[in-house]
Amino acid sequence: MKYKNYIAIILIGSFLSSCSDFLEPAPSSSLTTSNYFTTAAELETGLLGVYDAIQGSSDRDRDLNHGVQYEFYVTEMRSDNTSSKTPDSEDASDAGQFENYTLRSTNLFVRDYYSSYFQVIYRANVILGSLGVVTDPDQAAAIEAEAKFLRGYAYFNLVRLFGDLPLIDRVISPTETEIQFTRVDKNLIYDLIVSDLETAVAGVTGTSKNRASKAAAKSLLAKVYLSLESPEYLKAQVLCEEVINSSSPALSLQSNFYNVFYSEGNSEVIWAIGYQAGLDGESQLFSSEWLNAVGVSSGVNYATTDVKAALDAMGGNRTQYSYRLDPLTVTGTNRYQVTKYLPEGNTGGVNGNVFPGTPRNAGNDWIVLRLSDVLLMHVEAIMGSANETQADAALISFNKVRSRAGMPTKTLGVDKIEKAELLDERRVELAFENHRFFDLLRFKAAQSVLQAYSDANNFDFQSTDLLLPIPQNEINLSRSSGTEMYQNPGFLQ
Amino acid sequence: MNLKNKLALVALLLFSIAVFAQNKTVTGVVVSATDNIPIPGVNVIVMNTTKGTTTDFDGAFKLDVKSGDALQFSYIGFVTQVVVIKDQKTLSISLKEDLATLDEVVVIGYGVQKKSHLTGAISKVTNESLDQIATSRVDDALIGQVSGVNIQATDGQAGAAPTITIRGVGSMAGDSTPLIVVDGIIVDSSFLGSLNMNNVESFEVLKDAASSSIYGSKGSNGIIMITMKSGVSGKTRVSYSTFTGVKTARKSEAYGTTTADWAQKQLDAGLELSLYTKAQLQIGTDRAWQDVFFDNGTITNHAISVRGGNDKTKFTTSLNYSNDEGVMLRDNFKKYGARIKVDSEINDKFKIGANFSPAYTERVRFSESIYNVARHQPWLPIYHTEETLRFVNQAGPYSYLQVGDYARQDHFTVFDLLGDDGINDILANIGNSSNQNPYARVNERDREDKKFQLYGSFYGQYNITEGLNFSSTLSGSFNDTKRTDYLGTLAREQASLAYMEEIVQKENYVIFDNFFNYNKSFGKSDIGATLGTSIESRNFFFSTITGTGYVNDAVKQIAGATTRTGDAFEWQKRGISYVSRINYAYDSKYLASFSMRRDGSSIFGSDYKYGNFPAASIGWNISKENFLRESSFVNNLKFRASYGVTGNDRLNTGSVDPDSQGSTSTLSSDNILIDYYPYLSLLAPSAYVDNGSIVTGFSALNVANPELKWERLIEINPGLDFGILKNKITGSIDWYRRTSDQLLLPNPISVTTGFGSALVNLGEVKNEGWELELKTKNISNEKFKWNTTLLATTNKNTLVDFADSAGQITQNGTPSVQPEWTNIEGQPISLFYGFVVDKEVPLEFRDRPYRHVGAEFGFVYVKDLNGDGVLDDEDKTVLGDPYPELIWSFTNEFSIGNFDLSFMFQGSHGAEIRNLADHYMFSNNNNVTLVANSLGETAPNQQFLINKYYTSSMVQDASYIALRNVNIGYNFSKDVISKFGITGLKIYATGQNLIYKTADNYTGWNPEAIDKASPTQYGYQLGGSPINSTVSLGLNLDF
Repeated sequence: MKYKNYIAIILIGSFLSSCSDFLEPAPSSSLTTSNYFTTAAELETGLLGVYDAIQGSSDRDRDLNHGVQYEFYVTEMRSDNTSSKTPDSEDASDAGQFENYTLRSTNLFVRDYYSSYFQVIYRANVILGSLGVVTDPDQAAAIEAEAKFLRGYAYFNLVRLFGDLPLIDRVISPTETEIQFTRVDKNLIYDLIVSDLETAVAGVTGTSKNRASKAAAKSLLAKVYLSLESPEYLKAQVLCEEVINSSSPALSLQSNFYNVFYSEGNSEVIWAIGYQAGLDGESQLFSSEWLNAVGVSSGVNYATTDVKAALDAMGGNRTQYSYRLDPLTVTGTNRYQVTKYLPEGNTGGVNGNVFPGTPRNAGNDWIVLRLSDVLLMHVEAIMGSANETQADAALISFNKVRSRAGMPTKTLGVDKIEKAELLDERRVELAFENHRFFDLLRFKAAQSVLQAYSDANNFDFQSTDLLLPIPQNEINLSRSSGTEMYQNPGFLQ
Repeated sequence: MNLKNKLALVALLLFSIAVFAQNKTVTGVVVSATDNIPIPGVNVIVMNTTKGTTTDFDGAFKLDVKSGDALQFSYIGFVTQVVVIKDQKTLSISLKEDLATLDEVVVIGYGVQKKSHLTGAISKVTNESLDQIATSRVDDALIGQVSGVNIQATDGQAGAAPTITIRGVGSMAGDSTPLIVVDGIIVDSSFLGSLNMNNVESFEVLKDAASSSIYGSKGSNGIIMITMKSGVSGKTRVSYSTFTGVKTARKSEAYGTTTADWAQKQLDAGLELSLYTKAQLQIGTDRAWQDVFFDNGTITNHAISVRGGNDKTKFTTSLNYSNDEGVMLRDNFKKYGARIKVDSEINDKFKIGANFSPAYTERVRFSESIYNVARHQPWLPIYHTEETLRFVNQAGPYSYLQVGDYARQDHFTVFDLLGDDGINDILANIGNSSNQNPYARVNERDREDKKFQLYGSFYGQYNITEGLNFSSTLSGSFNDTKRTDYLGTLAREQASLAYMEEIVQKENYVIFDNFFNYNKSFGKSDIGATLGTSIESRNFFFSTITGTGYVNDAVKQIAGATTRTGDAFEWQKRGISYVSRINYAYDSKYLASFSMRRDGSSIFGSDYKYGNFPAASIGWNISKENFLRESSFVNNLKFRASYGVTGNDRLNTGSVDPDSQGSTSTLSSDNILIDYYPYLSLLAPSAYVDNGSIVTGFSALNVANPELKWERLIEINPGLDFGILKNKITGSIDWYRRTSDQLLLPNPISVTTGFGSALVNLGEVKNEGWELELKTKNISNEKFKWNTTLLATTNKNTLVDFADSAGQITQNGTPSVQPEWTNIEGQPISLFYGFVVDKEVPLEFRDRPYRHVGAEFGFVYVKDLNGDGVLDDEDKTVLGDPYPELIWSFTNEFSIGNFDLSFMFQGSHGAEIRNLADHYMFSNNNNVTLVANSLGETAPNQQFLINKYYTSSMVQDASYIALRNVNIGYNFSKDVISKFGITGLKIYATGQNLIYKTADNYTGWNPEAIDKASPTQYGYQLGGSPINSTVSLGLNLDF
């Protein structure tokens, strides 16, 4: 009898202790992805985390992700628009590798961008994976739409920069290496982007200009349609028109070009990433980096003489608000600074480098999409695969942008818009807003324009420079995983 | 016989007992049958009564008995003898040594085993005189006592924990310390600081994996089992022990240059004194700063214990106090402890007991890194006096200085350099630092750790049937630590820099064990079996508050601050274990042991929570075979071999052990929580700006790794135990190979997961080595005894597999001095990496070489290893590693009449240390300008000049040989002391580290010192807090 009693005690003890809860204590001082995202309201807070990933860190620590703040390195500085303050082909520093097309696969900024935007994708996937908890179908649809908007946006940027990519459409564990290192054809990536953004267009309900809205989703999808290998011009045109004619919120061009950049959330902005000055986690560093040793670098993303010439010739009243002479370089070679994102709109005194507050923690929002971009996309969509257009609708949109700039407008029924002219217009209207490189790609002009620019400056442009290298770190990790990732051509394998 | 007759006989017997059973006193002496030497401490018990005594130092005893009483004489290592008293008045008992003193009982974890039946590598150290070693920590006293165990004084401050490594470093997870089990209670290693050596009965060190796998997931770093003294039946014994001693620091000759030495050096070289030296000599203060900071100390210990009971209930209780004033300025360790343990047999079947040990310790720390204050110039006074103020330019920025202010090097700018008796010649920059006075930095800052620790247990044991019992034990430990660091307004000169940090840590750890134990002999077979479960729960709490804005030092509390910030969080860890073991011995000749433990840990993902830890070992007592049984040469010969698997679930990814030197509050909820919940993805607030206002959301802090599993260690260990020449020579030889794999490491992962790194199981580390223990009884007679013990251990550490991280080169050190480390497969884990020194820069090219006292040139010529004429990464090589290859100890014990004498030499060889203190102590950083020589030539081949800390210059030999202990004692003979009612009195004098010899090229204070760093960047120090030598007097009194 007694034996049985003791055995019973042990068995009961074992039974109690093997209750799964005992070995899975929930951390009392932290939320986890498995016990948090359980209601629509909690998923909402997760969506803010996705925006936070795009927003990035203003701390220059290389282990942190900088999100959109480093985008100018991988876009504008690879175009003919900007370079570092002192362009130097011998400069092997990470910032110097972009402008002269000597990019290496170990480049920190490339890795940062790749890592940042996959973080955006990861955070969006966390939300999409938890959607089941939302019982109200409308709420679920709205959250799904916003998460997909963000995932689509991130993949759209990545696919244009890197080409074929790993396709991550759910939360994956560190051991799922095959997915992490298998590069999927870019057209399949575009399929996901189109599907995500179509869901977004249908379901997004927000109206904040710092978050997803119907107008933002439509504008982005229009751009995606224009960027496809076989562009969907008609679909893009329809979407652009919906945005241009949208009433809630009504969008209109600012009469003063200056106010586009220094009046946050103005009527022209469709989607901007929000920042607030002074706060470490919520401010941005690019405004200071673009000045003369105000940021950590001595000065990057300076306007090239090439873009200066274009702005001088075609900018109209936009020119004065787009760049300025670096006051500190007047005695030597003239250098030009971008003035669209001066920290809090301050000019920095006589030398342009003394700012009130903490310019390295600037609060200027970063505009991702604005109306004039959509107006010019409208023209582009109507022109389609042709080299010019005379359509009234195209000319009306074009003229809106031109007249605000104080430039001569086109006469309906008489004038036409040529493709090169449209590209130039986009260049001066959207200079330094990280559009130029993508525009060149979309207009199939990148090869010729950048080759000429490179030749003129003794740079080393090759056609393979149109794609960024996959970060070397990923290639190295893929080798030990058994699924070796291939590098883009032109970069060391 | 018929019934009547029987009754008559009984009556007669009763009568005769009544007649003959008269009380009388017997006296006697117990000696060893082998050598006729008296044995003190033999238990003499009148069987079936509670009466008893023990023999004194002369082996003598006295006891009131009746005729017909049976006296039982028992002593560990001897065959118990029973003598029935008839009419003897004196007894002469000769105890036979139990074959080879082997039937000592050894604690093996959840049970005990006869030593002769052991099949694993377990070393036992009995506390015979360990409590006479004048140290405040029990682990310090274990140095050199056990082979395979490396106890390194990595921090020489009073009360600081040494680093204990058993059979090499096998984990990358940061925690390579062994498990500590006190009286069966698992405690955190910090309890080694609160135990009192006077209460310790013995230590058992479970070294091989087969032995330690009974603790499964906790066993991979080896186990130190500590058995505390229990109550005894018979007369209640009171013991009082005390010692008091003086401590001195081992100073560094290299770091002791005075201004006078420096002047002499210039004169010896036939030079005129430099202007700087002339000026420095005038100030009138001249001593190296180590003389100020190593102010020596004292150590005092008092312990009183009472042990007693009867054959049913036994108890022990004790109180102790020790005060260790360390050898450094303001380092101090005070300990107050108490203990009570009661065991009681309620009836034949049922036994219960309880055990409680609370302790309170107060540790005052030396508040700065020693290199940072000792590097100041020898001529710098602590305070300004009328005399020293004369050298302060009254027209300069320091004209406000007054007598009694702290002096700073850059205060001194006017001297008499022209010999005109006027102190008016300006000479700036005679010093190498503009920092606040080093004495102020230490003295105006208070760092204290106050710790309350308690461990205890309740148990009940029920004998179900002969040989089978069931026991249930509820045990636990509680740890409450408060650390404060008050940096006063004068410590940095600016009141605005004053701050205080207060950290509170609490931990409670509860374990519930339920075990069946079975021990039985069937004919020639002995079987022992253990089966049980263990459930544990640990709860942790951490909080930190920082106060700033102190106006003065009136209230040295957080309450005195004007601004306070803080953080607090808690976390949990749980475990479930199923334990089984079978020991089998056939004819005491053929031995085998099998065990299996299954552990579940809350650390891992749902499908990987459990790990299995099997072990098997076998033994063959060859000396029991017929062909050796009669051998007069070989008395004992046993071969054993073991195989076992253990694990590790202790992670240390970014959290830092706050007990370690220098660290304060690097613990954050971010990293500590990931360490305890790595299979979960934790969320952190994640804010965004929407329409100009901040909105807070949440995003994941880490990637969940649901497949994370145990770090695993597999070990094989063949060994041989032997005893020859009537066991005059005994010992053992072991060889081991321990391989740890599936190491828990934070490793880079694809960023497509959303994160750049994750905790993964990766890599493999191997440790291999030999262990030798040799004990000889050189001379053994009544007057004179001489025993010798030699222990030696070799270990070779190899990084077998390090996946993506193999060959990585990383930097570590102080923020400004960052030499390189590398981790190469096939070599030890952590390797010093850099350039090889070629030669020093000739004096003629150095700018003002005699400006700072003791200055060396910061740069050095290094070798162009590949001979390509340029200095680059190709010229770097491995410069050494911090793992000793051989550690040994050599002990001699003598006993001459009432005197005894023992001494132990101990040494360590083959390790290197990267001593970065050289960079600071030799002012390397301030004297790196080259000039042209008298011929107008500048230094040649400057492309091969590089800062010394990147080179072999600061990689030094960490070997040492020390006279660890000397002990001379005198035992008063019982005749003298018994008049005072005293049963034992011993006085003794001890010395620790009276000789401590380091390698010639070692410049620092302590070659054993190592600063806390990740295992991949291990092995640097900044001079180290110094080795202590102690001389003390002590007394043990029993009554």
